[in-house]
Amino acid sequence: MSDLQLEIKHLIIEALGLEDMAAEDIAADLTLFGEGLGLDSVDALELGLAIQKRFGIKIDAEAKDTRKHFANVASLAAFVSSQQTA
Amino acid sequence: MDAPTGPERAFRVTDFRIEQWRAWAPGLDSTADWCAWHQAPVRLDDQGQQPDVGFLPAMQRRRLSRLARMAFHVAWPLADAHGPMPMVFASRHGETPRTLAILEDLGRGEPLSPTQFSLSVHNAIIGLWSIQRGDHSEMTALAAEGDGLEHAVLEACGLLAEGAPAVLLVIAEERPPALYQPFIDDVPFSYAVALLLTPGRDWTLQLASASGPRSEWPHALNLVRALCSDQPHLQHHWKKRQWTWSRNGA
Repeated sequence: MSDLQLEIKHLIIEALGLEDMAAEDIAADLTLFGEGLGLDSVDALELGLAIQKRFGIKIDAEAKDTRKHFANVASLAAFVSSQQTA
Repeated sequence: MDAPTGPERAFRVTDFRIEQWRAWAPGLDSTADWCAWHQAPVRLDDQGQQPDVGFLPAMQRRRLSRLARMAFHVAWPLADAHGPMPMVFASRHGETPRTLAILEDLGRGEPLSPTQFSLSVHNAIIGLWSIQRGDHSEMTALAAEGDGLEHAVLEACGLLAEGAPAVLLVIAEERPPALYQPFIDDVPFSYAVALLLTPGRDWTLQLASASGPRSEWPHALNLVRALCSDQPHLQHHWKKRQWTWSRNGA
């Protein structure tokens, strides 16, 4: 697990108030929304905001790839890396 | 301009029965705790303690503010024992910490937290209650003044009169953030009280137009004190309203 993945897991727990959860509980390939972790649309907005603030990147809510980037921690980490180096 | 003074007729507002009650404040939880406090009422030390809501899974707890946790903690066991029923939620000040957090973000020109924003309305707590209990009964959120308890009883008794077999009344106030404290003088410490009201004549509530001294404790806490004892009457004044609670046949 990369440091970035771990940081994103902590960000998810902190930003979404997931009491009683630890980073180990969120596998990198666990589906975040709907199934899996079971996050909802308000969480999506909150997490998007937290990621933009933490990593200083822009997320286009309308872009068709955004949903794919938010699929799981691994895809989010890949997205954040690509935006930071872009 | 002052209202005309002089003897005024008291209106019998409503009759009801308090089937069960529960209350929480920092350090006070059980009926025994409250009845001990009633013997020697003091201003409690509010350090931001939160009541337990462990009956909810973590995923459902995450959006509950302190005020919501207080309301859920007192109301949940009453609803568990009784099943679906309408709720009247009353809070004069609502979620002042959330309001302040949103205003501070705005002041700094930062984007608002979608979660904070979506839960910032006064009826957010009853919305969460309805979702998490799967209860589609009629629910009302009131923000009245210092006599919000009495207005909430009036609302609840309206629902009873329409045929509801029981109504859950929850009144909750949270000690405000320091910035607001100079302007809020009726929340000595955070508290929540839940009453399970049913049709009956155990209690009568009357309203008259008269002025009098403000009670030492918030009305809901005075009521808890009366419920801990055989006290047959309570009188609460707010502005020109005089509310008299009488226990019948006591």
